[in-house]
Amino acid sequence: MAEKRQSGLSRIRSRVKATIKSRFPGANMDYCLTCGLCASGCPATGIDGMDPRKFLRLLALGQDEEIMNTDWIYVCTMCQRCKYACPMDINIGRIVYEVRGLRPRDRRPRNLQKTCDFQKTSCSTGISDKDFVWVVNDVLEEVRQNEPEWADLEAPIDRKGAEYFLNQNAKDPTVSPEEMVLVWKILHEAGVSWTYSSKWWDGANYCLFTGDSEDFEATVRAQVETVNELGCKYYLNTECGHIYYAVREGIKRFNIPHRFEVISIVSLYAQLIRDGRLLVDPSWNSDGLKFTVQDPCKLIRQGGGDSLAEDLRFVIKSVAGEENFVDVWPNKSNNYCCGGGGGALQAGFKDQRRRFGRLKFDQLNATGADVVITPCYNCHSHIMDLGEFYGGKWRVTHLWDWIVKAMVRK
Amino acid sequence: MAAPKGSVLVVGGGIAGVQAALDLANSGFYVHLVESTAAIGGRMAQLDKTFPTNDCSACILSPKLVECGRHLNINLLTLSDVESVEGEPGAFRVVVRQRPRYVDTEKCLACGTCAEKCPKKVPDDFNLGLGKRKAVYLRFPQAVPLKYAIDPEYCIYINKPGRCGMCAKVCPTGAINLEDTEKKHVLDVGAVILAPGFSAFDPSVLDYTGYGRFPNVVTSMDFERLLSPSGPTEGHLQRPSDKKEPKRIAWLQCIGSRDINRACHGYCSSVCCMYAIKQAVIAREHAGKDVSADIFYMDMRTHGKEFEAYYNRASDEGIAFHRARVHTVSPAADGDLVLRYADEQGRVREEEFDMVVLSVGLELDSRALDLAGRLGVALDADNFIATDTFRPVVTNRPGVYVCGAASEPKDIPQSVMEASAAALEAQRLLHGARWQETRTKEFPPERDVHAEPPRIGVFVCHCGINIAGVVDVKDVTEYAKGLPGVVIAQDNLFTCSQDTIDQMAKTIREHGLNRVVVASCTPRTHEPLFQETLREAGINKFLFEMANIRDQDSWVHQNQPEQATKKAKDLVRMAVAKVARKQPLPYNSVPVFKSALVVGAGVAGMSAALSLADQGFPVTLVERKDRLGGHAVKFYRTWQGAEVKPFLENLSRQVLSHENINVRFGVTVSDVEGSVGRFHTTLSDGSALDHGVAILAVGAESYKPGKGTFARDASSPWGRETFFHGARPDVYTLLELDQVFIKDPSSLSGANQAVFIHCVGSRIPERPYCSRVCCTHAIDQALKLKELNPDMDVIMLYRDIRTYGQREKLYQEARAKGILFVRYDLDHLPKVGEEGGGLVVQAHDPVLDMDVRFNPDFLVLASAVRPRDDVGGLAKLFKCALSEDNFMLEAHMKLRPVDFATDGVYLAGLCHYPKPMDEAIAQAQAAAARAATVLSRDEVPAESVTAEVDTRKCTGCGVCVRICPYHAVSPDPALRVAVVDTGLCKGCGACVAGCRSDAITLKNMGNEQILAAVDAAMEE
Repeated sequence: MAEKRQSGLSRIRSRVKATIKSRFPGANMDYCLTCGLCASGCPATGIDGMDPRKFLRLLALGQDEEIMNTDWIYVCTMCQRCKYACPMDINIGRIVYEVRGLRPRDRRPRNLQKTCDFQKTSCSTGISDKDFVWVVNDVLEEVRQNEPEWADLEAPIDRKGAEYFLNQNAKDPTVSPEEMVLVWKILHEAGVSWTYSSKWWDGANYCLFTGDSEDFEATVRAQVETVNELGCKYYLNTECGHIYYAVREGIKRFNIPHRFEVISIVSLYAQLIRDGRLLVDPSWNSDGLKFTVQDPCKLIRQGGGDSLAEDLRFVIKSVAGEENFVDVWPNKSNNYCCGGGGGALQAGFKDQRRRFGRLKFDQLNATGADVVITPCYNCHSHIMDLGEFYGGKWRVTHLWDWIVKAMVRK
Repeated sequence: MAAPKGSVLVVGGGIAGVQAALDLANSGFYVHLVESTAAIGGRMAQLDKTFPTNDCSACILSPKLVECGRHLNINLLTLSDVESVEGEPGAFRVVVRQRPRYVDTEKCLACGTCAEKCPKKVPDDFNLGLGKRKAVYLRFPQAVPLKYAIDPEYCIYINKPGRCGMCAKVCPTGAINLEDTEKKHVLDVGAVILAPGFSAFDPSVLDYTGYGRFPNVVTSMDFERLLSPSGPTEGHLQRPSDKKEPKRIAWLQCIGSRDINRACHGYCSSVCCMYAIKQAVIAREHAGKDVSADIFYMDMRTHGKEFEAYYNRASDEGIAFHRARVHTVSPAADGDLVLRYADEQGRVREEEFDMVVLSVGLELDSRALDLAGRLGVALDADNFIATDTFRPVVTNRPGVYVCGAASEPKDIPQSVMEASAAALEAQRLLHGARWQETRTKEFPPERDVHAEPPRIGVFVCHCGINIAGVVDVKDVTEYAKGLPGVVIAQDNLFTCSQDTIDQMAKTIREHGLNRVVVASCTPRTHEPLFQETLREAGINKFLFEMANIRDQDSWVHQNQPEQATKKAKDLVRMAVAKVARKQPLPYNSVPVFKSALVVGAGVAGMSAALSLADQGFPVTLVERKDRLGGHAVKFYRTWQGAEVKPFLENLSRQVLSHENINVRFGVTVSDVEGSVGRFHTTLSDGSALDHGVAILAVGAESYKPGKGTFARDASSPWGRETFFHGARPDVYTLLELDQVFIKDPSSLSGANQAVFIHCVGSRIPERPYCSRVCCTHAIDQALKLKELNPDMDVIMLYRDIRTYGQREKLYQEARAKGILFVRYDLDHLPKVGEEGGGLVVQAHDPVLDMDVRFNPDFLVLASAVRPRDDVGGLAKLFKCALSEDNFMLEAHMKLRPVDFATDGVYLAGLCHYPKPMDEAIAQAQAAAARAATVLSRDEVPAESVTAEVDTRKCTGCGVCVRICPYHAVSPDPALRVAVVDTGLCKGCGACVAGCRSDAITLKNMGNEQILAAVDAAMEE
């Protein structure tokens, strides 16, 4: 047993709390009833001896040293499941974010900070804009040659006046360029007018997680201005969670002028299928492959909410067959975070991350599904890792794989 | 104002509306009672049992509903909504729209044939959709009026005229009128009372509760119906998914309360903690002690009278209380549910349950919200009807009053108090028109039955399943038919329902009955009702006897149905034997001295005195001290933020200058004679007065740890702790700190740190109750300290924060301002010491499991409110009782919160229980309203079952004179015999037992009747 903790409080003073309050007065952190709802719903409860309620309590009691030293702030993915049901609407995720920002740079997880530093030059993996353009064109050329039925496939870059600007997570052009083709095919088949950009094209933004407001603002602003210049009506977010949140939240928080609407590609899929512009037929799945879904926190709970979650289910059911979808509980806006968000994959702390993900693993495993749809790069990576680590028998995929599989060409 | 109208509009037929209507109708006003559903009863009718007495809700409510339904001076308008109220106080014109019932209430016998044949099954809204009813329906078995109605939303005929119409074809009396139309009523009234009640919060907006998704997640209102004998499962506890009896049940508190996030209700709903405990207790009664009951809560709020004892008892009985809020309800196999929660130290636990009950909060019904808008009645920030601290039932619109849960979430006793208070306000306005619009009841002349042999009718009640679930009622009825003198015996589902009562009167006339036995619940609640039926049927009401086959039979022998049936037969046989020997008795009455005595001139006493004096009744206000104001003079401000001093000065001025109030300082009550209508009271200075009623408002005391006898009980968890109170100037009680706020607040501004300790002297073995007011008072003071110096650390060491109702906003504000709340329990008591001349307080933070030390500049003790030591003496003079905690004991905890069991004596304020000023004022007004039901009459009924002296046997020894607690017996010096004053005699029988010569008997309770019953008991 550790020695009993003691604290002399002849004056209760928290510099950390005061700083957070000055930076974000709406956090409600003093409202805490210590009811423990957050702790009961948080997958990170107990990891490193911490939970959201204890974290707030340390702030309330002025225990700054402990707050500044705990690495739990990188185990917490700022998924906001706590805030979702907190009776006092305390923005715990934002408080964690601010504490991350108070850490000196040299004491932050190196890889997370490095990813943000890359981001500030346009892309999170560090590949150059020139390389991106080259990879896109190269892959396009290859498809046109090898697949005659796709000889007219397009992957436009910098096409002014296109209806949709599509972002592209840098992971694909860096390590798995063939993944990109699937989206191109879907958009092409549905006759969508779209374009990439040759700069600030990345569908990721890890400066959302380091806690430095300036970096976050600078990266969002650069991308917003790029899309403004292209004159697109929609900012189409690829199957990724955090960037959807980052762009929308950045625009709002920093009041960035923009001339487009941000929509998730999941909503667009649903709309194209509903409008009959994209024909899909689930009959390929005569063996009854079972599908379940991960609702990415930043896409659903902190993004489009239950209506976007419904779109997601509509698309899965359309391509895999209504009867082949098995839902999880809790789900939609109240889902469990997998543990890979909030920069956790970049920050390290692998053991904690896997402990965090145990709830998600158990929940997915209980569905008996063969396929887990993860319309988010971070969920995708981390749930794959959970599956390997804990012994899941399912495949983890994006949505586009199955849309292309079910797509009936006109 | 021209002569005001003598009638009042009451909107809402729940318990509050019913109480307000009865108080007004019983003190000289005509009442229009408007109810939007097809029957009165409101939410209380939907409840199974009520806390803290575990009374059957429908059973205690039903007599009031029936009285309302039968009252000559109450015009019941069901299926009706108030459209508009125009005009001024004293002269309002009201438009009421009455929706068609499609059933003629004059013709309907409630036989139920229509519903039996109606082909359309629809969700039963009275059972919250848990069961089905027909499109033609009775709202609930004890509905008043007991008349069917047709639901136009579902009726096949009404939706497609020409189709169906089955009900009209089968109705034996032709009561169905499918062409019925809406009616418009234009009413002229002098005042309006709003009692529209509450709606339960709908948790389907909170996805994480699983409500609406998992069938075994129900709301607390659903659960009431699942427990109720008149509910969808007839009182057998079954969970919805598979009708299995649940063995593991969890309650989740604060669903839709204390939640500013998704529920948008920051306030506390005040009643949910208690009803959850009650439901847990009752569920275990239904389904056995092996049922596990777990309550998940934030703060356990058992702040009412006898509530803490109820909580402790539940805890001792094994109900599990978890201080934890669950995030999400998840499904498990077979319809079970899983709760994952973190205990206070953050350890995660998972438990499975068969059923989860959501303790949903209260909100103003959306229709009431619209009504308030139409009437121009203002709402507060929580969307309840706004009232004033010092005028708790007055709305912003003159002449329009509010009571019950529509102005703040509150329990039944508080709603009943406010209902009487609202009736008082209406009387204050309209007293000039008393008895102007009322009608009086004429009973038919009574048949002289002296010469007739007994012709007895026996009516055996099923009481739903309360009796019939155990006792074989048909068998008992058949048995009764064979008893000597019995002419007819019948059984009824609910004998107290209006149609059965009407039927009973008819049966009495048709069969020429001259004695009646009802075998049913208890005479305590129902005897007056049945006796009145006898009068309506033209026979003397004392030719009646009740066999108590529910309270004293089916309820206590639940698991022995055969023996219970046998016992029911025994009881019926005894009652028949006894009633056969009863004789008609005269109806006595006592003339009323139309003046009141109010004891205690605190805020409650003064409010009560003014409430009566304003109506023209002379009041003597007796105060033992030489000043007015009681404890209120020490008070800084109310929880709503109003300073007490100006209010108190104004109130005192009104009292002192009122022509109808005679204030007597420096005296106490030393002797009381007489009874309701004609008390004769002697004061300590030797003077005496006659008065018709008395209101006791003698207050309470603040516990002072330094002086007190805190540790009378050596096992007290605090030991002999005095917290240096009285020994150091920097240790205050709440009232002492208020003194500083009043006199020299700036002296506190320089302090860096203040610590409050809650529950000092409350919630401990020697004083187990919660003092109700201290959490709110302490937090308001903490906020005041923050006003004086925003930089001051203020720390509250508490056990549960009990800022019930809208007081919760103070708690929220306090946290928002950085006031630190650290919970303690009896295993981790804070320690107070001295260090370097200053104070040091040691506490333990349970969340971080960390000891914390504070060095406050001053310490504040939220000390208990304790009853006065001399309260017992006064109670005894008025023949009133005290509770276990030594507060004065009302006649019924739920429905008679300001009456004593002694007629004509009422109570108000802190002598009843600790309470804040607004509640004390409401209670004082309620006491005045109850007193007015006596004072408004020239005479009140007196006891008929009185003692009778056989002068041939009396030796004039005088024992009875000394024994009689009511001073009703006096010696006749000339004849040397005892004489009984039938106006004073209460029929207690003490003299009968005391008489050495067997010379005194109690009418109808003599040896003849009692021995007949005893003999009958011995028969087989």
